[in-house]
Amino acid sequence: MSATFEDIDAAAEAATRRRATLRRYARHPGFMIGAAGILLLLLVAILAPWIAPHSPTQTDLMNTLAPASSTYWLGTDQFGRCVASRLIHGAQVSLLVGFFVVLISLSAGTIIGAVAGYAGGWLERALVAVIDILLAFPSFLLALALVAARGNTLDSIILAVAIAYTPRVAAVMRSVVLTIRPRPFIEASRAIGLTPWTIVLRHVIPNALPPVIVVATVSAATAILAEAGLSFLGLGVQPPTPTWGNVIAEGQTAITTNPLISLSAGLCIAFTVVVLNLLGDGLRDTLDPQMRRNTGKLL
Amino acid sequence: MVGHVARCVGQLAVALLGIVTVAFFLMRAIPGDPALYMLGDFATTEALAALRARLGLDLPVWQQYGVFLLRAVQGDLGTSVVTGEPALREILASVPPSAALAVAGMAIAVVFGVPLGIIAAVRQGSAVDVGVMLLALGGISFPVFWVGIVAILTFSHALGLFPALGATSEPGFWKGLHHLALPALVLGLSVAAYIARLTRSAMLEVLGQDHIRVARAMGVPERRIVWKLALRNALIPVLAVIGVTFAWSLGNAILVEAVFSRPGLGSTILKAILARDYQLVQAGVLVLAAAVVLLNTALDLLYATIDPRLRQR
Repeated sequence: MSATFEDIDAAAEAATRRRATLRRYARHPGFMIGAAGILLLLLVAILAPWIAPHSPTQTDLMNTLAPASSTYWLGTDQFGRCVASRLIHGAQVSLLVGFFVVLISLSAGTIIGAVAGYAGGWLERALVAVIDILLAFPSFLLALALVAARGNTLDSIILAVAIAYTPRVAAVMRSVVLTIRPRPFIEASRAIGLTPWTIVLRHVIPNALPPVIVVATVSAATAILAEAGLSFLGLGVQPPTPTWGNVIAEGQTAITTNPLISLSAGLCIAFTVVVLNLLGDGLRDTLDPQMRRNTGKLL
Repeated sequence: MVGHVARCVGQLAVALLGIVTVAFFLMRAIPGDPALYMLGDFATTEALAALRARLGLDLPVWQQYGVFLLRAVQGDLGTSVVTGEPALREILASVPPSAALAVAGMAIAVVFGVPLGIIAAVRQGSAVDVGVMLLALGGISFPVFWVGIVAILTFSHALGLFPALGATSEPGFWKGLHHLALPALVLGLSVAAYIARLTRSAMLEVLGQDHIRVARAMGVPERRIVWKLALRNALIPVLAVIGVTFAWSLGNAILVEAVFSRPGLGSTILKAILARDYQLVQAGVLVLAAAVVLLNTALDLLYATIDPRLRQR
């Protein structure tokens, strides 16, 4: 089959549109800073074993609570472990939690929200009731109770935080789908006889994704904060495995003698959350300019 | 209006039933035997069986749920496995310090967050807007427990203005307030950042509407447009924001209580989790979720008094 002029025109138009989209991203300073920050964090987490000056669990009992020096960039904690190395390795836990929480809550929330919004009737009412009930539980408290229920291994923490944040994604997805349902292309899909599942998976979800992606990016930030909070309370990943939250908690005991421990770990968390929020704001502005004002309410 | 109130109360009842159900099944997912925890590893099988029967743990789950629901309606949420006291009484006993923290925190959050959000929206794109939004971004990005530690370092250790402990056993209103100030400020400012961001977007939406444009075209003074026309219409979204942030601030309150070693619901629930005192955790989670639902119902009723259109629906 040979390409018609229409095909070539369409391809050229698509390429122009893609270039325009890329330009829009490149011109958004918040997006660029956020993307660069996330890239940096990913590199640090992946290359942690090679760039960390020491092992994060190796103790140096002659040098406990040492101040910052050329050997120990941020000093040592009460067991003589290198704080900088613990923070570099701690990035792994935070990013893993952020990534998997988003993956799970985005997939589950998208499907639940899309089904609720598209199906209507009793199924929608039932799903909305469950979502509303789950939203009444403070997410952090829900995550806390679930971790208490399933133990504090990394996978159960990820699952607990993901379950706590899924209703939020589902609620946003449903509200977006409600605006898509009455549009002509959905009616057309029904008219040509597509099954409801095909319509939801092929037409509803792809069109509803942009606002949900924004929510997901911000959820990654809240998930990282939640994991840090759990670690701080002693319910997260257990020491000696370093996480930013447990470094803050352990540093708290030496806060007057070596405040650098807790302070630097807090800055790591804040940096990650800031870049994720900048990325989310940037995505919101570039994916759909109309959402600029509205999504604030959804988060 | 009566119909609206009835509808709100009906929804409240359904929501309360929902949270009781979710809390029940959530806590049943906890592995481990509460009876074994209560009596220790050296308990005899007979003693364990007797205790299980007393707690109703030997019944099928659905029957347990029925009994639980029936008792919950009567205000009985079980007995603390550790102290043997009624769980609801123990939870309610730790509500006052938490309520004081939550109310003081929310008050600070609203006092700072709402005006800052409005100013940022009115001056959209100006240096003031950018400044407020950067501050707010910082506020939502720093973990609240870390801000608490920094506040203790600065205001307690370095400046000596406030005590590092968030509570005191000494009597006296002013003493208590002095200890509450720092935790409330830490909690309040973290929530204020959130409220400022959301208020700004709610206000921007209202400011972009047609009736505001008409008012501007007719030469109504800007001050009147912002504070009379726009704010009144932005009030409902702003109240909704306060409702949403309340649930979120309760999560933060748990962390703030931990940093300042302040007694309250958070520390009671945390201790219960560590002791696997599941009746107590369940009661605590229920009370907190019920507080969120109650606040949202109150807000729903308030919306109707602000916006007459909502009463007719």
